[in-house]
Amino acid sequence: MKHTPQRPDLPDLNRRRFLSRSSSTLAGIGVLGSGLLSATSWAAAAVGESASATLLRMARDIYPHDTLEDKYYARVLTPLAEKASTDNALKQLLSEGVAELNERAQALYARPYLEVQTEAERVRILRAMEDGPFFQRLKNDLMMGIYNNPELWPRFGFGGSAWEKGGYIHRGYDQIDWL
Amino acid sequence: MNSNKFDLNDDSLVVIIGSGAGGGTLANELAQKGIRSVVLEAGKRLTLDDIENDEWKMFGKISWLDKRYVEGPARLAQDFPNLPAWIVKGLGGATVHWSGVAIRLQEHEFRMKSLNGVVPGANVLDWPITLQELEPYYFKAEQKMGVCGTEATGMPFHGQSSHYKVVAEGARRIGARCEQATLAINTEVRDGRPSCQVNGFCMQGCKIGAKWSTMYTEIPKAEATGNVEVRTQAMALRIEHDRNGRVTGVLYADKDGNHVFQKARVVAVAANSIESPRLLLNSASTLFPDGLANGSGQVGQNYMTHTTAGVYAEFEKPVHMYKSTNVPGIVHEWKDNDPSRGHLGGYELEILHLGLPFMSAFLNPGKSGWGRELAESLENYDKMAGFWICGEDMPVESNNITLHPTEKDQYGLPVPVVYKTDHINDTRMRNHAYDRATALLEAVGAKKVNCLPPYPASHNMGTNRMSAHPRDGVVNKWGQSHEVKNLFVSDGSQFPTSGTENPTLTIVALAIRQADYIAEQMQQNQI
Repeated sequence: MKHTPQRPDLPDLNRRRFLSRSSSTLAGIGVLGSGLLSATSWAAAAVGESASATLLRMARDIYPHDTLEDKYYARVLTPLAEKASTDNALKQLLSEGVAELNERAQALYARPYLEVQTEAERVRILRAMEDGPFFQRLKNDLMMGIYNNPELWPRFGFGGSAWEKGGYIHRGYDQIDWL
Repeated sequence: MNSNKFDLNDDSLVVIIGSGAGGGTLANELAQKGIRSVVLEAGKRLTLDDIENDEWKMFGKISWLDKRYVEGPARLAQDFPNLPAWIVKGLGGATVHWSGVAIRLQEHEFRMKSLNGVVPGANVLDWPITLQELEPYYFKAEQKMGVCGTEATGMPFHGQSSHYKVVAEGARRIGARCEQATLAINTEVRDGRPSCQVNGFCMQGCKIGAKWSTMYTEIPKAEATGNVEVRTQAMALRIEHDRNGRVTGVLYADKDGNHVFQKARVVAVAANSIESPRLLLNSASTLFPDGLANGSGQVGQNYMTHTTAGVYAEFEKPVHMYKSTNVPGIVHEWKDNDPSRGHLGGYELEILHLGLPFMSAFLNPGKSGWGRELAESLENYDKMAGFWICGEDMPVESNNITLHPTEKDQYGLPVPVVYKTDHINDTRMRNHAYDRATALLEAVGAKKVNCLPPYPASHNMGTNRMSAHPRDGVVNKWGQSHEVKNLFVSDGSQFPTSGTENPTLTIVALAIRQADYIAEQMQQNQI
């Protein structure tokens, strides 16, 4: 897809170019044992390593942005898992939720959720669970953690807070070149 | 700032419940005439320091989030079961949360019943006033609020943002009329407030105060006269009356939960279209068993929100819609009453942007809003352009505000239950608007057009409506109760029909007019 070059003073980088630039660092789901999502760093303490990997897979299935690094999903899941270590109700919600994911995966595809091959198959499992509190907790936390994350706004092409920069009146509010 | 203190036993005061477009304006108009009032505001005092360019932070900071229930078969009840309306609990009320769109009602919108006859399933009523009667007050309201693009102010429009240009080009290609919006947002330094710098976060509070809000215009001006005391975190519980059926004052809960009774000569209710009828219903007594001033049975009925929805297109190239006033322009083509379209009443396509955080919540709201299609659309956020549909909403008696039979809120008041669903006319109008909006956006190259369901209403109307005859409504053409002469309604709940236009300008015009009437009636000792 062609894009017109951005003026350097415009804060919002071209998103696709930005995303594709960062995609070379994308390790995908295989990063799980590599520290960021290791047992000591987060969910394993609360729900176990396999469950934490399952939650990450689920998170990427809920809001799939293929070029977005795992760390942005993990930053949503980590505080959730940390909270679960002292919050028994939340711990139960997460472990029972993961167990249900796996039960449904076994029933439909004879393997755990993490090993279900295609997104469409995993989505089928998730759709069946979407009304429940486990799914909704994950979805809501992810929505805030991804789309309400100022660090990610440039990659989606959203400018964020503008008043302290004098707004857009002198920063291209009327500029468009493709009409 | 607010050093005025009036005695709780002072029964010469006007007590105004609410500090928004209706209440804030009424307080200042009365104050300028030397009439003293106490304003009871349920929320906290806000200042510009409280305003941030952050959608969710502002949502948490200013929204009215007390317990409410949404009922009815509409999707809204599924998606937002406890948030029927998106309005404000704070000084300035809903004038903090609005995009500044200030448009007059059209002449025919005051007489929808005469124009269209009986509409099955709807409770349509003509306004007891005409556009002609309201015109001088519209002019004053536009001057007061600083509405750009009007004769009243002479202020120019904001100029064409990129978002506006995309839509205007689409409109041109399908032969639809698109114009810049008349906004109560300064385009010049005016009335001690700066000119707009296009921050793009108009909706939940303008950080620099370029947008009119009673929070920093009417309220401080009223306080400066010495004639107004504003009490914040003061939640009205009940309006009391004497044995002759005249109101005597308002019982409210202060910030510490103490119950306080403020005597009054006149009470004006301006708490928005859910809380205003709720207060009247909560003020039921042996003399008024169905609720204060509710002899007609219309208190809480005919709840209208405008027929709304969103339409957002994804283009091949960037639009950067967030670099714009929230509403840079409006497609007016279908605002007339033309039954040949298959629906009565008109609608506007109001160009409106949301930030990425809100777009992620509203593009496909509710429990099933997730997955690859949504994620891909959000990846196209910078290439989006679109509308908020705002159309006439049929008054339906069963769309209403009632009191929960058992559940109480933090003040000990029954929780309001809001029942709202489409009249068939609303559904047909929304579908027409989806279709035309899609055609317009595709004409300028949209690759995908997303039709969004309605989200919680910021335009709330009709639940204490005006009527020529006491049997048909709650208040007369001055907003004065048919039954209780010293009780007034001063907000959008007075509207008999919703019109197509955003309600704020009309609420302000009515409040200015009502202040003249209250002053005259007080002078003549009629109230």
